[in-house]
Amino acid sequence: MRSRRTPWLFLAPFAVLFLAFFVVPIGYAIWQSFIGVRRTGALGLGGSQTTFAGLRNYADALAQTAFVPSVLRILLFGVVVVPVMIIAATALALLLDAASARWPRFFRTAYFLPYGIPGVLASIIWTFLYLPGMSPILEVFGWFGIQAEPLAGDGVLWAIANITIWEFAGYNMLVVVAQLQAVPAELYDAARVDGANAWHMVWRIKFPLIRPAVVLTTVFTIIGTIQLFSEPIVLKRSAPAITNDYTPNISAYNQAFLYNNYGLAAAEAVLLALVAFVLSFGFLRLVGRGGRAGGAR
Amino acid sequence: MRRLSVRRVAALLVVLALLATGCGTGRRTGPIQLTFWSWVPGIDKSVNLWNRTHPGVQVHLDQVTAGIDGGYAKMFSGVRAGSGPDLAQVEYWAIPAFMLEHGLVDLNRYGVRKYQDRFVPWQWHQGEFNGGVYAVPQASGPMALYYRADLFKKYGLQPPKTWADYAKAAAVIKQKDPTARIGTFPPANSQWFIALAWQAGAHWFGATDKWSVNIDDPATRKVAAYWDDLRRRDLISTMQDVQTGWYKAVHDGKIVSWVGPQWGDALLKGNAPNTAGKWRVAPMPQWDPEHETAANWGGSSTAVLRGSDHPTEAMEFAVWLNTDRHSINDLIEGGYGWPAAANVFKGSALDRPDPFFGGQRYNDVFADADRHIDTRWRWIPTTMSLIDTLNSGFTGAVTGNGSFAGTLGTAQSAAVRDMRRKGLQVVTPPER
Repeated sequence: MRSRRTPWLFLAPFAVLFLAFFVVPIGYAIWQSFIGVRRTGALGLGGSQTTFAGLRNYADALAQTAFVPSVLRILLFGVVVVPVMIIAATALALLLDAASARWPRFFRTAYFLPYGIPGVLASIIWTFLYLPGMSPILEVFGWFGIQAEPLAGDGVLWAIANITIWEFAGYNMLVVVAQLQAVPAELYDAARVDGANAWHMVWRIKFPLIRPAVVLTTVFTIIGTIQLFSEPIVLKRSAPAITNDYTPNISAYNQAFLYNNYGLAAAEAVLLALVAFVLSFGFLRLVGRGGRAGGAR
Repeated sequence: MRRLSVRRVAALLVVLALLATGCGTGRRTGPIQLTFWSWVPGIDKSVNLWNRTHPGVQVHLDQVTAGIDGGYAKMFSGVRAGSGPDLAQVEYWAIPAFMLEHGLVDLNRYGVRKYQDRFVPWQWHQGEFNGGVYAVPQASGPMALYYRADLFKKYGLQPPKTWADYAKAAAVIKQKDPTARIGTFPPANSQWFIALAWQAGAHWFGATDKWSVNIDDPATRKVAAYWDDLRRRDLISTMQDVQTGWYKAVHDGKIVSWVGPQWGDALLKGNAPNTAGKWRVAPMPQWDPEHETAANWGGSSTAVLRGSDHPTEAMEFAVWLNTDRHSINDLIEGGYGWPAAANVFKGSALDRPDPFFGGQRYNDVFADADRHIDTRWRWIPTTMSLIDTLNSGFTGAVTGNGSFAGTLGTAQSAAVRDMRRKGLQVVTPPER
């Protein structure tokens, strides 16, 4: 009897928090996404009742002029940012792990440092680096006759991409570095005995062995991309192209807290969660299949 | 003996309990505390003055961020959670949105009517719905043309009297200095555009017994087409206004004039200090010079939020804040706009020549503008998302997708859909 209870006792701290802060809010959001409002009285100011709205909030979210484009914008963003991020993180990790690397510890810390700066602060700093007339970087470009205005027009999406890569490439690198350091030295010794050069080691040993870390960072990056929020919110003040429905997360936030359309906001959030779910699990299945094929070889 | 002691203890407990409840229900010795969320610069001075002169009611001021992305989300959440402030700065356009969330206290119940004659009627009317009074008006933003007198002289120009003159002046300025423009169409600040439509005679919204929405009307289309034309001829800047880059352009003489609100004076003084003495103010350009109309940009109120424990005291503070002469002068200094209090212009801090404007009594121009504002303008509960819809459309237009005029139809249908989603009945004009 006691032995059956014990595992639950150990699970309880996790289970309670998981239920309270994860399952319940998700359930509440899903419930809210089916709720609408009915108003009475002159001008509708008399009173309000909540009503069951069926799928109307979902239909509204999809029919909105800006929600679907914001999802597409994020997908475009991801198609560029995810590969660049992963290639940059992996390349940095491999460089630091190379036998000929100088001061690997110093550079590891240096690359990781941007992650220690809160996203909002990083975005404020980058705003100044993007503003013509203020930015030293743009001034140097100007010496060579390049007039860049990163915050003007649609190009601001790539200004945001640059910030996120700067922020998170170092963190993702660290995940890969950790995996690289777990590679047993005997493997390299054996390879060297077999006559492998540095390139062979990278392609034949390091790459296959860091694969799980790369997959993990890719999933992180996909999810982070879909949730893009704080960088565009901060840049908004200086970049008119960033509207109040620039990303799905910003749209849901504004629908809920600014326009008081909680049902619609919940529907948008649920739709976004579905997209994130499909993309991350789709990616995992894709690489999982590749992994099995590799194993069979 | 034992029994007695139990009785004694019981008696003691009863006495203690009475004392405790006595303390609970009795009047607290300290003053009443009110919290107030606002962003108006200089309002802290007025609050301090109130606190010095009204020891019984102490107001605690919390600064919130101005504008649509500023404190409103926080206020809505506060009202919803029952933890909001007693008083808040609420712009006229945002009042109906708060009404819909039952966020504002009907001050009629606390006798606010007796103060009505201290305020300008149309600004008072902005907080009136269904016979209730939901906000104490603070200030509006009559508009005029700020222009660089030195540069206009250099380019051989007079301040334009009509919008046709404005377009001609725009062409001259671009010709004389290809890097300078007469002004900017701020794509992500459509409140400016709304003010211009207001001047042209549009009546977007009505609130009689049902709401009505009529954004894509002839007057508004005329205004949008006018700015589309200037944009296509590259005669205006489409830089976002009142932000760092714009201030720099203003400072450098690359933005030569500004059709701006009265409260913009403090922004120019604060952000382009080196241009002091070079500015003048003229009436804003007219569509029909025979028939002068002015525009209004902004305007806000002091409202008592639902959940306040002291609505009467909060109302008294709101009335004092916006009618007391000393308080008004503090607010004017911060650039709060055009007073909603009636008959205070003469002798106020507004009524004097200003060296920044070359010694011009520039507020006379705004006083005149204030008399020519179409005071029938109303707002709807979904103005916030409407502004965002317009911003998106206008931003699209300046980045090559669509036009200003084309945005109006989108905005009309989006606004109607927004309101119906909120369970409101909306009347729209017949389809064209």
